[in-house]
Amino acid sequence: MSITKIKKSNEKFGQFIGSEFNVNENLSENQVIIQTKDLNLWYGDTHALMNVSMEIFKNRVTALIGPSGCGKSTLIRCFNRMNDVYDNVKIEGNIIYSNQNILAKEIQVTSLRKKIGMIFQKPNPFPMSIYDNVAYGPRIQKIKKKDQLDKIVKKSLKKAALWDEVKDRLDDSAMSFSGGQQQRLCIARALAIEPDVLLMDEPTSSLDPIATAKIEGLINDLKKKYTVMIVTHNMQQATRISDFTGFMYLGELVEFGTTKQIFENPLQELTQRYILGRFG
Amino acid sequence: MNNSTKIQHNSLSNSVLDSGLRSSLESDLKSDLESNQRSELEFDTKISFFEKIIKPILFLAATFSIVIVLLQLFFLFQQATGAFEYVSIKEFLIGTSWNPTEGPSFGALPLIVGTFLTTLGAMIIAVPIGILTAIFISEIAPIKLKKLLKFIVELLSGIPSVVYGFFGLIILTDWIRIILNRPTGQSWLAGSIILAIMALPTIISVSVNSLNAVPNEYREAALGLGANKWQTISKIILPAASSGILTAIILGIGRAIGETMAIMMVTGNTAIIPTPITNIFSPVRTVTATIGIEIPETAIGGAHYHILFALVVVLYVIIIVINSIAELLLEKFNKKCNNGKIKKESNKKINKKTNKKTKIISKKFNFWLKSNKKRMSKFLQYLFGLWLFSIWAGIWIGIIFIGIIFLNIRFYNFISSENQQKIAIAIIIGATLLVFAVLTIIIGFLIVNGISVISWDFLTRYPRDLGREGGIFPAIIGTLYLVAGAIVFAVPLGIASGLYLAEYTKPNRFTRLIHMSIDTLNGTPSIVFGLFGFVVFCIFTGWGKTLLAGQLTLGLMILPTIIRTTEQSILSVPQEICEGSYALGANKWYTEKKILIPSAAPGIITGIILGMGRAIGETAPIMFTAAVFNLRRLPKSLFSPVMALPYHLFLLTTTVPGGQDNAYGTALVLLVLVFILYGIATILQSKIDRNKKSFILR
Repeated sequence: MSITKIKKSNEKFGQFIGSEFNVNENLSENQVIIQTKDLNLWYGDTHALMNVSMEIFKNRVTALIGPSGCGKSTLIRCFNRMNDVYDNVKIEGNIIYSNQNILAKEIQVTSLRKKIGMIFQKPNPFPMSIYDNVAYGPRIQKIKKKDQLDKIVKKSLKKAALWDEVKDRLDDSAMSFSGGQQQRLCIARALAIEPDVLLMDEPTSSLDPIATAKIEGLINDLKKKYTVMIVTHNMQQATRISDFTGFMYLGELVEFGTTKQIFENPLQELTQRYILGRFG
Repeated sequence: MNNSTKIQHNSLSNSVLDSGLRSSLESDLKSDLESNQRSELEFDTKISFFEKIIKPILFLAATFSIVIVLLQLFFLFQQATGAFEYVSIKEFLIGTSWNPTEGPSFGALPLIVGTFLTTLGAMIIAVPIGILTAIFISEIAPIKLKKLLKFIVELLSGIPSVVYGFFGLIILTDWIRIILNRPTGQSWLAGSIILAIMALPTIISVSVNSLNAVPNEYREAALGLGANKWQTISKIILPAASSGILTAIILGIGRAIGETMAIMMVTGNTAIIPTPITNIFSPVRTVTATIGIEIPETAIGGAHYHILFALVVVLYVIIIVINSIAELLLEKFNKKCNNGKIKKESNKKINKKTNKKTKIISKKFNFWLKSNKKRMSKFLQYLFGLWLFSIWAGIWIGIIFIGIIFLNIRFYNFISSENQQKIAIAIIIGATLLVFAVLTIIIGFLIVNGISVISWDFLTRYPRDLGREGGIFPAIIGTLYLVAGAIVFAVPLGIASGLYLAEYTKPNRFTRLIHMSIDTLNGTPSIVFGLFGFVVFCIFTGWGKTLLAGQLTLGLMILPTIIRTTEQSILSVPQEICEGSYALGANKWYTEKKILIPSAAPGIITGIILGMGRAIGETAPIMFTAAVFNLRRLPKSLFSPVMALPYHLFLLTTTVPGGQDNAYGTALVLLVLVFILYGIATILQSKIDRNKKSFILR
């Protein structure tokens, strides 16, 4: 499909948004927590995100799907401004969170990231003990008292369903645990600073099926308290865990809707072809 | 979140939204957001103070290298310009008589020729042996042997140059005198052999690195097409790594040209051009040796003094040119390795060449070989023996062999590929054994002769009778003071600078400039550092020979090592881990403090220890700035002169007749100190390698 066609269908998409929301009655109960408006991003000369406008709903799991290189990871990294790490990135547009445009220069990313946590593709525990890993975030916020830290560590590890496995080994190096445990440790680490939103960038892509199932179950529990946004390659995973799904292609958000609607009744031909695996 | 931010989609009809309706929806939403001023979150809008100042601080540390290079250029040139009031450039460069006291005549040509000849001789010896050893280490040796050999090469590079000089003067020149029946062994030949040994570690380690950088796929591709090991090495790997190996040779040349102490002790130091020019037994005098010998004897500010600085400038310029050529080549090589260009080329090559070759071999020469098999194996044995027992014969066969490989002379094809491989591997192993033998001989001689000298008294007593009797206590303490001071000066600066380069730079011209300065500092010969320290810390500041001047000079010398290892170890910490820290709301400095520097610490410490090893053994930088021969007391303050082990060894060997026994002891103590440091560094390094494996995230 050519770019112009996508653009056309994108225009249509704007028109469909209203009808789509009406179809789903539950939607009106969803609260918007983050909203992006006309988000554009360039890596040097590469236009990586084009006019992305979408809403993330509170206490829901939103999945981003699409072929590799479509910009889904780039998009999710905008929400906690992780793209600031790179020098040659230019961003235009707004991301509204808590009534503020978080892309504004004067907002310090450190305080933003305390509210919007992130889990990465590969488990990336720090080369220190389990305890120190989880306590890392609170310590940044100058929480130094031992009993307070103990509480936070225990609570966070419990939330990440890891407490029972590691409670006797809190002083062991995080590097000695399995990949799945490491990833749950990273989730516990992110939860320890009590964020509102958890961004997950293909959190299970380097894990085996059993570890993946555990993480997926965990995400299901987490959404009671947190808003989760997840990038995934795996469409089955998106259907299993997400409430909303966005399909991205070549830097554009082609279609966004409830997961049920996207997978059962996609409005865009492109989405349908991707979901059915007839692509390219 | 407030309820008012709910999107009221219910109000939207099923029909297509017209733009007016849509914009009203947006403005609705906007007013909703604006009315909701009860913001739950307050984001910081100010950067913390420390975060703000840390970058400028590190930046200052990083620019320090540039400043030092500029200062070096400035001071050396400033001192050198005075020279041409006394002598014309023409006379200076092509005059054949160097006689600073009588005449006086300042023709530097014999010195330049001396440097050229000794370096040339050293390369003729060291290049074939170095490359062959590198091939053995990288391609043939099993993994455990590989580690051992790498350690041996490290040790060879760690032996202080004054110890090499001592070995050369006491043993090597004696051998040359007796075996070759010459009146004296102090000659161009002795200088070249010593320089060859000293350039070997550089050539070997850089070559090994470039051989290792050749992607494994090439080897697999070649072996998969039926090439044997030697064909793979000679046709694929060596061509692929050729520019890296060339870099190794150039760096080796740079090392040889800049060497002072050892060459000063073994070449006889007569400022003549050998007659005939091929007379390898003629004594020679190099540029560096002239500087080392004559600077202490000359009046500061006189004609001789300025002309010596002109010599330094000549040396410095040569070294900078050589090193920048090496840098450029290395950059090219890395690019080539990365973009996989050679992959195509070499695949083609092996397709054509090996197939052709095997065909020719099988058709034409199988017959010939069968009839000569017995003779061949005898020849092999003979060759192997030759390599083990006769150094020179081995070297020349190696040179011819390398020539054969690169020129592809016809008769090379007369030998079957299998036998080619046997011969080649035998020669390679021979070269490696030779390197091993050299190290064992040097260490063996020092231990055998030195161990009887060493006693508790020797280590804790002051020297008597010009060092012939008594101990070396003040020299040990003085060396420790010097090294400690150098570390205190260089480590904070080096770490800050390395951190800046790894974390804060963008790939622009200024970063390139910093890197270039560090490379220049790294390649600058120690004698140039010595002179720079002398001019700046002794004369310019008016301190004279002081401990502090020596410490600062040594510190400057080891600074590039520390910067580089810090930068590299920080860069080798996986980016994901830093991102993990940022994602938790840590700022840059916190991440560096808690994650980056601790993870990189073993690497940084290794760099510091290697720097210490280098600082302990260096003589040239402290010779003019800090070290004196005989002291009754330990230095009282930073502004008093000190004794130092390498300088003590140098003077005991060259100027104190009968000081040989204590010289052996001093050399052994020096060697042991250096080896302990290198041992610690190696252990740390292997630990880092193991850690890296656990960094490979699942």
